[in-house]
Amino acid sequence: MRLFTGTLATSVAALMLGAMPLHAADLMIGIKSEPSSLDPQFHVLATNMQVAFTMFEPLVMMDAFAVPQPALAESWENVTPTEWVFNLRKDVTFSDGSPFTAEDVLFSFDRVAKVPNSPSAYTLFTRQIESVEAIDDYTVKMTTFKPYPLLAADITSVVIMSHLAAAGDAPEGKTTTELNRGDGLIGTGPFTFVSWQKGADFVVERNPNYWGDAPEWDTVTMRPMTNAAARAAALLAGDIAVMEDPPTANLSDFENNPDLTIAKAPAGRVVYIALDQQDRESPGISGTDTNPLMDARVREALFISIDRYGIVDRVMGGLAEPAGDLVPAHFLGSSPDHATAPTVDVERAKALLTEAGYPDGFSIVLGSPNGRYVNDVRIAQTIASMWSRVGVTTEVEASAPPVFFQNRDEMKYSAYLGAWGNGSGENLTTLNALINTYDREQGKGTANGGRYSNPEVDALLAEAASTMDDAARGAILSQADSMVLNDFGIIPVHYEVPVWALRNGLTMEGRADQYTLPQYIVSAE
Amino acid sequence: MSTASPQAPTVAVETPFQRLRSQFLENRLATFGLILLALIIVPSVLAPWVAPQNPFDIGKLDIFESQLPPGSVSESLGITYWLGTDGQGRDVLSAILYGMRTSLIVAFVSVTGSLLIGATIGLTAAYFGGKVDALLMRIVDLQLSFPAILLALILLSVLGQGIDKVIIALIVVQWAYFARTARGTALVERNREYVQAARCLALSPQRIIFRHMLPNCMPPLIVIATIDLAHAIAAEATLSYLGIGVPVTQPSLGMLIANGFEFMLSGQYWISFFPGIALALIIVAINLVGDHLRDILNPRSAQ
Repeated sequence: MRLFTGTLATSVAALMLGAMPLHAADLMIGIKSEPSSLDPQFHVLATNMQVAFTMFEPLVMMDAFAVPQPALAESWENVTPTEWVFNLRKDVTFSDGSPFTAEDVLFSFDRVAKVPNSPSAYTLFTRQIESVEAIDDYTVKMTTFKPYPLLAADITSVVIMSHLAAAGDAPEGKTTTELNRGDGLIGTGPFTFVSWQKGADFVVERNPNYWGDAPEWDTVTMRPMTNAAARAAALLAGDIAVMEDPPTANLSDFENNPDLTIAKAPAGRVVYIALDQQDRESPGISGTDTNPLMDARVREALFISIDRYGIVDRVMGGLAEPAGDLVPAHFLGSSPDHATAPTVDVERAKALLTEAGYPDGFSIVLGSPNGRYVNDVRIAQTIASMWSRVGVTTEVEASAPPVFFQNRDEMKYSAYLGAWGNGSGENLTTLNALINTYDREQGKGTANGGRYSNPEVDALLAEAASTMDDAARGAILSQADSMVLNDFGIIPVHYEVPVWALRNGLTMEGRADQYTLPQYIVSAE
Repeated sequence: MSTASPQAPTVAVETPFQRLRSQFLENRLATFGLILLALIIVPSVLAPWVAPQNPFDIGKLDIFESQLPPGSVSESLGITYWLGTDGQGRDVLSAILYGMRTSLIVAFVSVTGSLLIGATIGLTAAYFGGKVDALLMRIVDLQLSFPAILLALILLSVLGQGIDKVIIALIVVQWAYFARTARGTALVERNREYVQAARCLALSPQRIIFRHMLPNCMPPLIVIATIDLAHAIAAEATLSYLGIGVPVTQPSLGMLIANGFEFMLSGQYWISFFPGIALALIIVAINLVGDHLRDILNPRSAQ
């Protein structure tokens, strides 16, 4: 009996708690994947960046369209091709009240290379920098080894830590382990750290010393919920107020639901098919002894047999834009000739295959990650169906992401589905990673799993990399991009449009880099 | 049967099989299960001839005909999608028939394989006894102490995808049940006079085990096999639901259910619902048949 009353009391309490409305100034966000660390310089990972940006700020911050804007640096100037001068804001203090000066900038840039055991180091963004010097307390000069036009874009990922709070005995000051506990997590951002447990909630509260506009929220909780359907159910039940990536199948229902609003970001990440272009017996191809993908006509046949509009409409639920290029048209260095995606042409694809000597087609295995990109396996299946229709019998091999990436790196696929997010706002980073001839030492073509190689394109990319004038660089990049696409070296499919669903009249500006930043989530009024 | 004993005298009394049949048909529920099973198996086996569409021929699928509700008429093929279409434009009815075929093949082959391996090991252990028995039965104990699905998951992540791989994984997780049952029955049979007589004739152990003991140990093994058939179908569905069983372009029932899951919240119930019903029906039918078979074949529960 006693047990019964106890249970009853608990359930009544639970009911009352459930019925109580959330306090207006507390925000609960359902995120699709948790951070691997709170150390903002440990692991280059979107989920780490987005929690870092609640507590920390960089000198230069990307806006929603991936254009660099002043943040802790109120202005900057490229005085010579290799020298950049940044003028820091003078009114900024850290959340512990200490002032922000050039000292903190020097400490933060110095720390990047010292963080040990990083799975993917932030030196990616600082390796072009030869030196960082303080001219005075509020002026910093950076010198690059070579003329490097993307410096401002690169340092948007390097946040500034307090040199006092993050000091420690280790070479890097506070270690990653200490920072993961919350020790030394002092930044200039709109929120300050409250608690984090791996696999559970990350909680921050408003920074009382914030220099900019105070955010609307007293506290913000980010809860990792990896299953999209579970996130959607939690949003509908009101357990969370914001969700990342609502399932595309639910989107039309969400749009018609008066309790919910949908936020979309500018199209960004390109989903593409890479084709094996090495002169070898390609592992996933049967029905022929040579590699048919060496023939540009075969690549063109595969290129035009994909109905991109069909995929966007039926698989992506409209949450994507058909792609004919590697970056959307508003990016610097996109190709104007490929701004609109080609329409499907089955007859021409069949004619091209016949012309290339494959009237009966051949068989190919299409590799795909399972659960890495939005609807990845369904896209791969649909493309398999479209290729099979023109005679290229396609089998989909879908694997868990770690297995997929391992297979890709070992070049076990003749064709695979990939995606590339571009955080710099210009085509140089995309072309460098996906198209440049593979060269591990130089860090070029690192994601070029099809091993496409064109010396002319490589030369253009090298020229672009040292051209400081934006217009001139854009023209060179467009030229290189057109050459690759006219050669059908890679098959763009669509650009993902990042989406969020929000409750209770909340709105947010969707960011091209897909970060969910609570400071930009506001009530409608 | 007839080839095994060509010299057996023909007797007028009803054969064990005839007796089994008449006993079986006495139970209406079991008869219903048997009819249901036939209604499911026959169209699945004949799927290539009776299904409106070949859902495995991905070149014929049309993405513009995906997610259509039940009863929609196809514009390109001119057929009616009685149970709707899934996210890739497959006719759900055809996909169920083909998927069931996959499920049944996997179940029959894996259960037969487990039966052969398990019975051999169980009979060997019982016949030789002593250290052989102890060793083999400890392996069985070890095997049974692992959760079956977990073991299958690990095996499949090592072996990779494919119907053959699923069959291997299921044999590995199921053989131990057969081994244990076969040993239990064979321990009793081992001391019977006919086995002693066979030993006195100095017949080879192989011959005694397979020609003399095995036929007498079969009834309980058949019962286990029937029930295990349902387990195998459910296990295959679970593995495919988790995405590590059959290839995505050749979905079985479990994968059809998993594929439809994401459409549930938006009201497109049919993609998961009908394959789910089909899976439930086939498992219920097999269990009804299996349960009754056990009642008949178990001498202790005889009327």
